[in-house]
Amino acid sequence: MILDEACVVAPKPGVRLRFDPVRGRHVLLAPERVLFPCPTTVEILERIPPGGTTIARLVDGLAQEYDAARETIAEDVLALLGQLAKDRLIRVEREDRDVDAAA
Amino acid sequence: MSMPQPEGASRTHGGIEPPVGLLAELTHRCPLQCPYCSNPLALVRRSEELSTAEWKRVFDEAAELGVLQLHLSGGEPTARPDLEELIAHARSRELYCNLITAGVGISEARLDALVAAGLEHVQVSIQDVDPEGCDRIAGYPDALRKKLAFARAVRARGLPLTVNAVVHRHNLDRLERMIELALELGADRIEVAHVQYYGWALANRAALLPTRAQLERSLAVVERARRELEGRLVIDFVIPDYYARRPKPCMNGWGRAVITVSPDGRVMPCHAAHVIPGLVFANVRDEPLARIWYESEAFNRFRGTAWMKEPCRSCPRREIDFGGCRCQAMLLAGDPEATDPACELSPEHARILALAEAESQAPPPPFLYRTLAAGRAPREPAPAA
Ligand code: SF4
Ligand code: SF4
Repeated sequence: MILDEACVVAPKPGVRLRFDPVRGRHVLLAPERVLFPCPTTVEILERIPPGGTTIARLVDGLAQEYDAARETIAEDVLALLGQLAKDRLIRVEREDRDVDAAA
Repeated sequence: MSMPQPEGASRTHGGIEPPVGLLAELTHRCPLQCPYCSNPLALVRRSEELSTAEWKRVFDEAAELGVLQLHLSGGEPTARPDLEELIAHARSRELYCNLITAGVGISEARLDALVAAGLEHVQVSIQDVDPEGCDRIAGYPDALRKKLAFARAVRARGLPLTVNAVVHRHNLDRLERMIELALELGADRIEVAHVQYYGWALANRAALLPTRAQLERSLAVVERARRELEGRLVIDFVIPDYYARRPKPCMNGWGRAVITVSPDGRVMPCHAAHVIPGLVFANVRDEPLARIWYESEAFNRFRGTAWMKEPCRSCPRREIDFGGCRCQAMLLAGDPEATDPACELSPEHARILALAEAESQAPPPPFLYRTLAAGRAPREPAPAA
């Protein structure tokens, strides 16, 4: 699915981000998968609250924090969340409808 | 976004990475009697099983070693009344908790307790979509109805579900319906695994091997379903070694990713490794897990590529499939250092393929069901070759 800023992203049950002190980096744990996300992915995942948030709000927060051009951040965030959704690592909902069954 | 392996793990031991997964065979007890069970013929008795305190210590040591995911398996792991306590303990060490179960005889209250303890993912086996076929394989009455009720209860609690479908000559022709069933249950994944011939399955090989025609049809079914269900259901597929052209990268390499602990505490690179003569498996009762992983002879025996013989030694795929499965090399070629006969480049390959074709076309012999007594009774040696 193509994401836009009005989409709501939420953590997916059975997918958990944690820091691994043995390897000295974050790991993303999912059914039958262990992933080693890059620092940007970690930062975005950590900003998604348990109840979900719109992508627009995520972009606002990052633009503020890094004092960077909003469009550049939006582009990166949409691409990254799109990949995470495709890999079934986050849930994506639309504000105007229910949880996407495939997410 | 992510990569399969961390670049330069921080605390390596002479290049050996810590394991990402621990397969905890909590018990060999199981109400089912599947003739393809991967457990060894000599099943561990209840009185020999690790205690609750011992398993907790194993999980502590695993977390410290760098294990990230815990696969709670068996036998039937819910046969252990302390399973919820073990899950809660594992979660306190941040281990990801995956339950691999037959899904019979688990009440909703029990499932609630497992979920409350922190269970994160469930894999339930489905022997067949045909109730009679299911009961016949499982050697257990009314198994399918119970499994389906359990799978639905798992989904009702919001947990991700994987359906494990082990396929063979008696159910392969119903593969489409198995995939439909997984979809209808709300599973995220179905693992369609052709029987792997170790343990009980090897003893029952002539009764289980599908024909080449059946296999080819199943490949087409999977391919089509993958296209049609993209984004809705992930279909993992394990081909039968005997008809393969290249071997599977068994366990992602010996002593590379997974550590297995048997019900009585023996630590092995994989659950079939006991078939290799001369390997001594240390026990968690005597030695710390980290020492066993990094230093034991059994784990170092087939690490890397130095042990390989030709054709693997100079093959460009040697770091991709690691020469295939050591246990299968032992069972089929009589040499654990040989190329896995599943590989076309193995001198044994043609013989194995011919054997598969002959066995799969002959009328199937009766099953040797998996029971404690059958596994210990004197019997003909397994039809290794
Ligand atoms: S394969 Fe069958 S008999 Fe073996 S543990 Fe699983 S459910 Fe039990
Ligand atoms: S020869 Fe060995 S390394 Fe090469 S493909 Fe076959 S099993 Fe793999």
